[in-house]
Amino acid sequence: MRFRLRFVIGTALIVGAIVYLITTAIRNTSEYYLTVDEVGARQSELAGEPLRVAGRVRPGSIAWDPNTLTLKFAIVPIPDPNAGGAVKPVAATDPVAYAVTCAGEPKPDMFADGRDVIVEGKLDSSGHIIATQVLTSCPSKYKPAQAK
Amino acid sequence: MPDLGRLALAIALMLAIYSIGANVFGARRARPEFVASARHAIWAMCAMVTIAVVALWTGLLSSDFSLEYVASYSSTTLPTAYKFTALWGGQQGSLLLWTWLLTIFTSAAAFQNRRRNPALAPYAMAVLAGVAIFFLGMLNFVTRPFDLMAVIPAQGTDLNPLLQNYWMAIHPPSLYTGYVSATVPFAFGAAALITGKLDDGWIRSTRRWAIFSWFFLTLGNLFGARWAYEVLGWGGYWAWDPVENAAFMPWLVMTAYLHSVMIQERKDMLKVWNLALVGLAFGLTLFGTFITRSGVISSVHSFTQSGLGPYFLSFLITVAVAYTGLLIFRAKELRSPAEFESYLSREAAFLFNNLILIGIAFAVFWGTIFPVLSEAVRGVKITVGPPFFNRVAGPLALGLIFLMGVGPLIAWRRTTASNLVKSFAAPAIVGVTTGVVALAAGLRAWYVLTAFSLAAFVLGTIAVEFRRGVGARRHMLAEPAPTALVNLIAKNNRRYGGYIIHVGVIVAFVGIIGSSFFKTEVKKSVRVGQSFSIGAYQLRYLGLSEHDTSHMETATARLEVSRGGREVAELAPAKLFYKREQQPATRVAIRSTPVADLYVVLAGLDDDGNQATFEVFLTPLVFWLWAGGLLMAIGTVVVMWPNVRERAAIAAAVARAAPSALEGEPAPGGE
Repeated sequence: MRFRLRFVIGTALIVGAIVYLITTAIRNTSEYYLTVDEVGARQSELAGEPLRVAGRVRPGSIAWDPNTLTLKFAIVPIPDPNAGGAVKPVAATDPVAYAVTCAGEPKPDMFADGRDVIVEGKLDSSGHIIATQVLTSCPSKYKPAQAK
Repeated sequence: MPDLGRLALAIALMLAIYSIGANVFGARRARPEFVASARHAIWAMCAMVTIAVVALWTGLLSSDFSLEYVASYSSTTLPTAYKFTALWGGQQGSLLLWTWLLTIFTSAAAFQNRRRNPALAPYAMAVLAGVAIFFLGMLNFVTRPFDLMAVIPAQGTDLNPLLQNYWMAIHPPSLYTGYVSATVPFAFGAAALITGKLDDGWIRSTRRWAIFSWFFLTLGNLFGARWAYEVLGWGGYWAWDPVENAAFMPWLVMTAYLHSVMIQERKDMLKVWNLALVGLAFGLTLFGTFITRSGVISSVHSFTQSGLGPYFLSFLITVAVAYTGLLIFRAKELRSPAEFESYLSREAAFLFNNLILIGIAFAVFWGTIFPVLSEAVRGVKITVGPPFFNRVAGPLALGLIFLMGVGPLIAWRRTTASNLVKSFAAPAIVGVTTGVVALAAGLRAWYVLTAFSLAAFVLGTIAVEFRRGVGARRHMLAEPAPTALVNLIAKNNRRYGGYIIHVGVIVAFVGIIGSSFFKTEVKKSVRVGQSFSIGAYQLRYLGLSEHDTSHMETATARLEVSRGGREVAELAPAKLFYKREQQPATRVAIRSTPVADLYVVLAGLDDDGNQATFEVFLTPLVFWLWAGGLLMAIGTVVVMWPNVRERAAIAAAVARAAPSALEGEPAPGGE
């Protein structure tokens, strides 16, 4: 019976260590995951914080320099799919939400006008997003017609 | 053909419903003719789903664009091989493949148990048929593979270019095979709970299924990693993306299960734990499909998001509630008389290995759903990326590796001090020496030093085991060393196959450490004729060649690779342009050696092709990740190889009417 208690303690120690690892790692590595609209609402508190922003590439805003691997574009909010039609095009005249600059990374293959992207990086004081990485998500044409 | 496919799926659904009723009725009223009829229904169900699969393949191969699925995921210019693999290029086809595999495995299990397990098998078959009803219901009513287009297009949308790849052709079927075959042990576990036959009969009956599932989960994960490495062009192979995590978690749980069942077989302990693990493994396969299809958790994978999420979530919750209820209902009968006696025992090592594996799985789960939780609790989405997973899984992996060295060599119940010294002195010296050599060679990162030392320690323990076994055979049977080695493995395939898997894990682990800690990267824009260097390699841009087919355009850059002034290779990274999709893609060039991989991406081209920008990675030891994976696969085949002794053990376990008592006390390190 005494040994059983020791065993419970040993098990508790391991479980405790795992919980400790998870909580400290969450505290030290988490970053905001926001939509373009949410960035707008919280801009003041976000400057300098690591974040991920989900948005859509504004058509006509892409500037790509293959020699310096510098990609500049603007992201705008993704229209609400429930507000009608899953694939609502973003017009070139939409208000610019955020300018993004990503230097030193190749342009992702799926990156194009009107595609949905996730930008990882930081917001600088002037409201530019300095990105370390641009991820493209599923291009809309692979989405099903509409879930019934 | 579409009508035939639709009809076949409808009949399959009815057969699944019938087989549940007939199985349960036949088992409860002791009417074997009903159980036999249910078995025939299961085989007929499998035949029906096979007809549906053939019908969809026929549609794909004949480019029948009246089918919505074919129009969405194929085209006339798609190479034939990829028309074939387009079966799992989209959601409806993926679910059809899943269901097909499920009915095949159910049929195989029904065949296997046609004469044995009369108490357990009918209920297990009923559970399997219940799972089939869910999937067939989805295929019949929610996401139908044989829906027709309102207007027949002249050309299809084509398969996503990222999926037009060899690894992508074999990765989903492997992973699905692993996922789906985990249903069989789950079904037998559930049957044990339903019938109250709680001895290890259900484990022995499905041991090979569990290993089979683990084998394909391992391959599925590795193929996925390989695909990411070769196709995505970011130089890595694992990004802790939710979709990858979804495939990794069942693997961790199955790994834990395969170890903990040994304690139950041996010591009649951990019954609840084992039943919980098979339930968890099955639940995680549903959870994986739920998160990839629901869009609840954002992933960079280009999966179709759809209204499938709520169905999977409802099914998952139903299964979880019912299974947990059964566990609670049987809790009293599941109490084990045996207890842990010492920390220095194999069962203790296995228990801690289980805790760590499940701990890693839990951390991965937590990190994956964290955005959803934080949004629900704090109103803002917060994500954790690869740093989180690495920080948690890294230290835990070291603990696991350590236990991997200790577990197999210490005795069941308890170990004496002299035994410890005898078993571990040599491996410990090997481990410490490796650490010292690495330190002397200039390595300073504590994690890497510890990892390499532990890896050497584990390899040392396995070498000790092989040496001991070969030595005994040479001594007692006067066999020459090579013969003794072959016989040793053949006669104890479960144990020595396990060691081969362990060696594979260590080798893969070394590859992961090398590629994670020592990767270097150079980005360079050069004109034709110019050179640049990375590590000991010199790369010279020789020029661009272009190629045009009806399916795609290719721009290939040629690079001369030299080392110490001597040319060693010519690499040809390329940019592709898929015409149908109007989409560019990347073809990576890799020169792989055991020391390091040279990985070249053509990142950018100016308009005339005279200037090109390359992104080059030099990734040490990544070769060993794949080599280790191959060893794991070989070891698993050895473990699965039919063994006369084990057949007898299964027959005995099945024949035993009463729950088994403790088996005869095995020798230390016994199988």
